[in-house]
Amino acid sequence: MAEKIIAYRFDQVDQTLSQLNKEDCTIIAGGTDVMVLYKSRRGVPPKITKPIVFIDHLNELKQVYKKGKDLHIGACCTYSDLLNDPLIPTPLKNAIKTIAAPAIRNRGTLGGNICNASPAGDTLPLLYVYNAKLVLRSVSGVRIVAISDFIQGVRRVDRKSNEILAEIILPSELEEGAYAVFEKVGNRNADAIAKVGFAGYIRTNGEVIKDIRFAFGAVGPTMVRSVDIEKKLIGKTIPLAGADIAQVLSAFDKIIKPIDDQRSTARYRKTVALNLLRYFLSRKQYQHN
Amino acid sequence: MITFTLNGRKVETDAPPSARLLDVIRDEYLLIGTKEGCGEGECGACSIFVNNLLQNSCLIPIGSIEGAEIVTIEGIMESDQFKILDESYSEAGGVQCGYCIPGMVMASAALLAQNPHPSEAEIREGISGNLCRCTGYNMIVDAINLAAKKGDGLWQKK
Amino acid sequence: MNLKDISTSVPKKDHKGKVSGQLAYISDLKVENMVFGVLYRSPIAYGKIKSIQVPDLPLGYEVVGAEDIPGPNYVKIIKEDQPIFANEWVNYIGEPILMLVGKDLDILYGLLEKVKIEWEEYQAIFTLEEAIKQKAAPGVTMANYEFGESLEIISAIEQGAHQIIEEEYDTGYQEHVYLEPQGMLAIYKDDEIVVQGSMQCLYYIKNALITALDCGDDDVRVVQSPTGGGFGGKEEFPSMMACHVAVAAKAVKKSVMLVFDRSEDMVVTTKRHPAKLKYRTALDKEGNILSMCVEVYLDGGANVGLSSVVLQRALLNSAGVYKIPHFHAKGYVLKTHTVPNGAFRGFGAPQSFAGIESHIGHLSKRANIDPLEYKRKYLVKQGDPTITKGNFRDPILMEEMIEDLLNTTDYKKKKVEFQTFNHHNQRYKKGIGTSLFLHGCGFTGSGERDHIKATVKLFKSKDDLVSLKISNSDMGQGIYTTLSKIVAKELDLPYEKVSYPYPDTKEVPDSGPTVASRTTMIVGKLLERAAKKLKAQWQNGVEQEVTENYVHREMIPWNELTFTGDAYPAYSWGVNFVEVEVDTLTGNVKLENVYANYEVGKVIDDRVMKGQIDGGLAQGLAYGYLEKMTSKEGRIQQKSITDYGPPTSMDVVSIQSKVFDNPYADGPYGAKGAGELTLIGGAPAVQAAIEDALQTPFQQIPITPEVIIESLWLREGEEG
Repeated sequence: MAEKIIAYRFDQVDQTLSQLNKEDCTIIAGGTDVMVLYKSRRGVPPKITKPIVFIDHLNELKQVYKKGKDLHIGACCTYSDLLNDPLIPTPLKNAIKTIAAPAIRNRGTLGGNICNASPAGDTLPLLYVYNAKLVLRSVSGVRIVAISDFIQGVRRVDRKSNEILAEIILPSELEEGAYAVFEKVGNRNADAIAKVGFAGYIRTNGEVIKDIRFAFGAVGPTMVRSVDIEKKLIGKTIPLAGADIAQVLSAFDKIIKPIDDQRSTARYRKTVALNLLRYFLSRKQYQHN
Repeated sequence: MITFTLNGRKVETDAPPSARLLDVIRDEYLLIGTKEGCGEGECGACSIFVNNLLQNSCLIPIGSIEGAEIVTIEGIMESDQFKILDESYSEAGGVQCGYCIPGMVMASAALLAQNPHPSEAEIREGISGNLCRCTGYNMIVDAINLAAKKGDGLWQKK
Repeated sequence: MNLKDISTSVPKKDHKGKVSGQLAYISDLKVENMVFGVLYRSPIAYGKIKSIQVPDLPLGYEVVGAEDIPGPNYVKIIKEDQPIFANEWVNYIGEPILMLVGKDLDILYGLLEKVKIEWEEYQAIFTLEEAIKQKAAPGVTMANYEFGESLEIISAIEQGAHQIIEEEYDTGYQEHVYLEPQGMLAIYKDDEIVVQGSMQCLYYIKNALITALDCGDDDVRVVQSPTGGGFGGKEEFPSMMACHVAVAAKAVKKSVMLVFDRSEDMVVTTKRHPAKLKYRTALDKEGNILSMCVEVYLDGGANVGLSSVVLQRALLNSAGVYKIPHFHAKGYVLKTHTVPNGAFRGFGAPQSFAGIESHIGHLSKRANIDPLEYKRKYLVKQGDPTITKGNFRDPILMEEMIEDLLNTTDYKKKKVEFQTFNHHNQRYKKGIGTSLFLHGCGFTGSGERDHIKATVKLFKSKDDLVSLKISNSDMGQGIYTTLSKIVAKELDLPYEKVSYPYPDTKEVPDSGPTVASRTTMIVGKLLERAAKKLKAQWQNGVEQEVTENYVHREMIPWNELTFTGDAYPAYSWGVNFVEVEVDTLTGNVKLENVYANYEVGKVIDDRVMKGQIDGGLAQGLAYGYLEKMTSKEGRIQQKSITDYGPPTSMDVVSIQSKVFDNPYADGPYGAKGAGELTLIGGAPAVQAAIEDALQTPFQQIPITPEVIIESLWLREGEEG
């Protein structure tokens, strides 16, 4: 028989943290990724070897609130919670609507999407262009890291075993004149895993670009973003000149290195990623959202 | 030991905390209306309610539902809402092989409880996690539309 | 039953149990003394087994393999080439080698991982392309046929032709994704083995069991459980599972349950044959067809199974609905070391129709004529010969059906509108495409007379309730309802007084398998006749039973060797119009409008028919652009539903359909087959619509976004 499986479900975050400080555990929020990742075959529990810590019931991790210019989102908010929350920006809601289907959205969490660190994570491209910051809590206190530093590879994140992801901070989404967009390319209109994800963000003053950012999903081990390339466009005017667009495209052409897999081809992923970027850059105007 | 409410009845299980709620429902409580079609949250045949929200029981570790209210198709079978859905699915011809249907009915009930007058697009979204390979969905969409009309006023009282 | 028109819908017989989920499918059953079985499957594609090491098994756990089979080690289908448990050679990844049985699945899965096998591996054939190159090598060609105009005559025509067009067309796998994974249970009893499960063909299974168990007719019994979708996937495949559980039950003297996990089901069960079709067509100056040669290559996978019969249907449909002058066709089933392919709704016809509709569409472009107009020039008419020198003897309503859709869709106006739209929209392009198709109903040629020999019975109890005794499976298509309805109407009994219990070979005669669009037309007709007979001798309050046997209507006799004669007793027909919008940035295709007209003789139940139309068309459309399955070095790549991508409710649109009456004399109330027909037109219509939107020809299905982007990329390159 299988060994006894230990699981914890504390009422408080603090108790959870102190347990995590004692032993290395598998953290389960919604579980929609973990249960598939460790799935065994029909009729038996998934093979999770470490002790389990359930956190999805912790109200402290389910708050959405504003603090100054920043929007704080509790890591254990489910996708449905966020869809129903007036504080959540529309582009993020649009991205969330592309995730799986209602039953999964009622269970999966934003924090889970981040910690799962799938190259195809649907919320990740947008969180990258929002410059999302992550609040990690442990018994020793709070650590804040940029999402782009936190996610280090396929299913690899900079979370110490005694930490939990507590909040996601969107620092800049409220800035005036910003426009953000997310496009998910999947094999069908629901229950799809992204073959390409694209998020674009632009903030203008009149016709002058003040800030511009792009992130691509499912075309590399982590989201592809380049602040260097973005910088070159700041100060330019809209509509962008053909040469500027071509330069950005060729710069991304060099750093986007997708793979072939059961869902798509490297060539498709790259072509479509660049198509979506070109389309974003070629717009005559950007409406704020 | 994990305690939760199953179709209105308090129950306890000593299944391991990582056990799938789906298996507990089927093997321990012998409720067969919740089906397994994929085991990965991709087909919706195992749809149930957790605290009134539609979820896939194959993705729920039993340890996470301490104190939760779980409702399966058996738990709504006697309700007026179910009767309307039953009639509507019959009239619209929404049932073929039947394997997806209990999950589909759960998704229909969840949708109508949240949105008693859904548009066609909203119906399609509401059942988008429930795969059906027989009907091409249209007659199921018709059934939900019909149920919305027939059960007008009934859906929101919970 | 007092219906003015048989087509008026009635409530489905099995509705209540299904809507409440309380109808028990095989995986819902638990019987006494039951253990689970799990299969150890070959991890290599082609090789010889040198030794098998099974780990020490705990008490109550046992291993079952080839040595436990009382009879010969093959699953009886057509040829004896499919082992029950491979014990010498393995021919594909996933081929069953042995079974472990015991109470606890978790323990069984753990033990499976400890089975060790030593191999001698050989160079496998992984792709149809490789197989075509090696088709002369021993064992690679598993079946082949050739027929039609002599090649000398064609060669002479080609010499005088203005132009010769050659095209190659590829079709991919299609996976059934019935919602209920395959499952089979053998119930062990001292004097018999009862095999129960999800299935389409009870007597295929029974015959396979009699051979495998080397036993008498009374020693095995096959019972159908409610079957959660089949689509052909539960035609021949369940015979193998039935052998596994029955052999195991006999060996361990316990009841044995085998239920597949979804990923196991996706990787090891039969699929629609990938195909390559080659066309060589001679044209005159105006683009008129002078002659056509077609070659069809089917990837059979590791063993032949039903592939030869699938090839026959593919070839019989290789000219589509057209009267092509000087037509010649040949075809091959080739062996690859991949999962065996088998029956799937349409049975070879979907590949052929996708190919011929594509080819004719491309020829129309050369002739500079609208595709539909070009197709109509060649449309067969009543009295025309078939490509096998048979005859289209019944009225054909295709022209009316086409005209109707031209009006409904406002086709000409729409074409202009789409052109304007496409001109102004850089990102999105709209297109409209059509497909014309038919489906031969029932078994090919003399199959019904020589192989099936169907028998049906009606039983009337003392309290004047009538039950159908036939071996056909309701797998969702609704025959419980339609066949009961035919009998009720014929007997003038209330529908509720006619029942159709889940078939059990102990109770029912062999009325044939539930395949080939034969159930309503052939079995339904037999039941109609049986009901007439019962009515004539009806005595209230007395138990009565009547039997009817198949009677063959002789036409032009079918000769399988020369491939001549009437291949089918009757044909059902269809026309689809499909409108799409293509996103040229992503290659994604959005269905906008789908229109479908069909002629199936006479509809037995409007609602059941609509279910067949919507469901069949959803599968057919998805076969053309959405569902993608590939094999890499013998391994199926898409192991989950999501990776494979059958349509969700958000991928399908409402379908405007109409069914035309054209009663067929040998069908019940005039009904012909309908179940497969509805799938066939989807893919070719969606291809035509995508081509119309992008003004680019394609030579394959599925036309995935990857294919579209690649083709746009190539075109951009050409245009500089």
